Amino acid sequence: MSTAIGRLVRAELRLMTRDPLVLTFVFAFPIVTMLIIGGAFGTRPDPAFNGTNPSHWYVASYLTVVIAATGLVMLPVHLASYRERGVLRRFAAAGFPRWSFAVAQLIVGLLTTVVACALLLAVAEPVYGIPAVHDPWRVAVALPLGAIAFVSLGVLLGTLLPSARAAQAVGLLLFFPSFLLGAGGPPPHVMGSVVKQIAGPLPLTLLTNAVRAPWLGLGPATGSLIGVAALTVAATALAARRTIL
Amino acid sequence: MVDGLDLDVPAGQIVGLIGANGAGKTTTVECIQGLRKPDAGQLRVLGFDPVTQAGQLRPLVGSQLQHSALPDRLRVAEAIDLFRTPRARDGGELLERFGLAPRHRSVFSSLSGGERQRLFLVLALLNRPRLVILDELTQGLDPAARRNVWAAIRQLNDEGTTVLLVTHEMDEAEALCDQVTVMRAGHVLDAGAPADLVERHASTAVIRFSMPDPPAELLDQVRRLDGVTEVSRDGPRVTVRGHRRIIAYVGAALVRWEPVPDDLSVYVPSLEDALLDLLNDDQRDQPATASVNSEMIGGRR
Repeated sequence: MSTAIGRLVRAELRLMTRDPLVLTFVFAFPIVTMLIIGGAFGTRPDPAFNGTNPSHWYVASYLTVVIAATGLVMLPVHLASYRERGVLRRFAAAGFPRWSFAVAQLIVGLLTTVVACALLLAVAEPVYGIPAVHDPWRVAVALPLGAIAFVSLGVLLGTLLPSARAAQAVGLLLFFPSFLLGAGGPPPHVMGSVVKQIAGPLPLTLLTNAVRAPWLGLGPATGSLIGVAALTVAATALAARRTIL
Repeated sequence: MVDGLDLDVPAGQIVGLIGANGAGKTTTVECIQGLRKPDAGQLRVLGFDPVTQAGQLRPLVGSQLQHSALPDRLRVAEAIDLFRTPRARDGGELLERFGLAPRHRSVFSSLSGGERQRLFLVLALLNRPRLVILDELTQGLDPAARRNVWAAIRQLNDEGTTVLLVTHEMDEAEALCDQVTVMRAGHVLDAGAPADLVERHASTAVIRFSMPDPPAELLDQVRRLDGVTEVSRDGPRVTVRGHRRIIAYVGAALVRWEPVPDDLSVYVPSLEDALLDLLNDDQRDQPATASVNSEMIGGRR
């Protein structure tokens, strides 16, 4: 690959393998928390989990945790650190097209998500088993749409936040409430009405619902899927407008 | 802030941009590279608008930026691969030329300040640019590396590349530049060849020598020499100021008096003196305060 994007993607992937600790949050956090929470509620079908096996509920929920960790934490910190240190200025001055770095990050973010999701499923399989996918088409549409939405959000945050430390603070502030209310926390049925109302429209709640419901046969979740699609269009458009270079 | 800047960089020349900190030099070169959008005015670089035609312009410009970096774990040879375009020169040869070949497997974070500067220079020259912008080119380089970089810049210029050099190092500007533009607080104070700037703003040479009892006849003779503006004496120590041509005249006058002084020193004005003179313009409006310890013998201004 000798295009600007190709060269950037190749360099970024190489750098990532050279600094694997950077990926800990994206790779290890979802797996560890899935193992803990998935085991906390047992494996017997539970009405609080819409009558499904709680462990399977969490296996079907945690792919979106990987996506959110990549988009809300890893990418903003990475991009803000590059901007803060003048790496992006150097790329810009060297003639890399204005959009090339954002597109390269989109590709790297998506690849990271795919690998981290595969790893999560590989760990879940022997421990809790992977639940059968009832509506594979809807899951297959929701997951990449959500990944593009959150990676675009990450690129957008990386362009807006002034420093790596600010990006880390804001990223974690966005990630943990989203994670607890919309993916890895208690199921919506045990939440109070106010908390449920707050959790409902959060991007990660919409994405998790759009993946989990068709996966576990709990309904098509068309409304959530439309919400995710709208978020994808908006986040991608905004990230494209705020070109980094 | 840069205001009312009129900067013309003729093709094939080395043009220097000099001035005090905060003069607007880096802002100017950022505008030239399209990294910053000017609020007003017209800017054309190699015939292109740096903001609206950045895509066409940037491949033709090589930049060695101040305040920039590469990813910490990127190796030197990988940086060459990352930045090279199809029109690139041989990266290995450039690394060799700037003494970085032994470091080609080193990661960026392990390079010293001087090595980073040289790597940025290599990257600036890599894609055969028509214009090279060098911002604080030799900051952090040891004297040998500086001379090496200067020689490379001259060679590059001989090959037809236009160079815009932003520098605080006046000896560097004097050694390399065909033209120099002096900036202060966003304005151009003066521009011209380094020798012309020195002539206009710092033409005074200072000659000092000692004689046990300087003969009044000699001092009178020196005072009357063409170009001498001031002769002062402090005990055996004599100081003569005037246009640079007095150096030859004073030397000629002294050899007729035995014994000739063996501590004759000559201070020839440089571009740095010209710059200081230009930058001190504001202070000139304030009342002059001077403490004169020496006895004034003669002066013509």
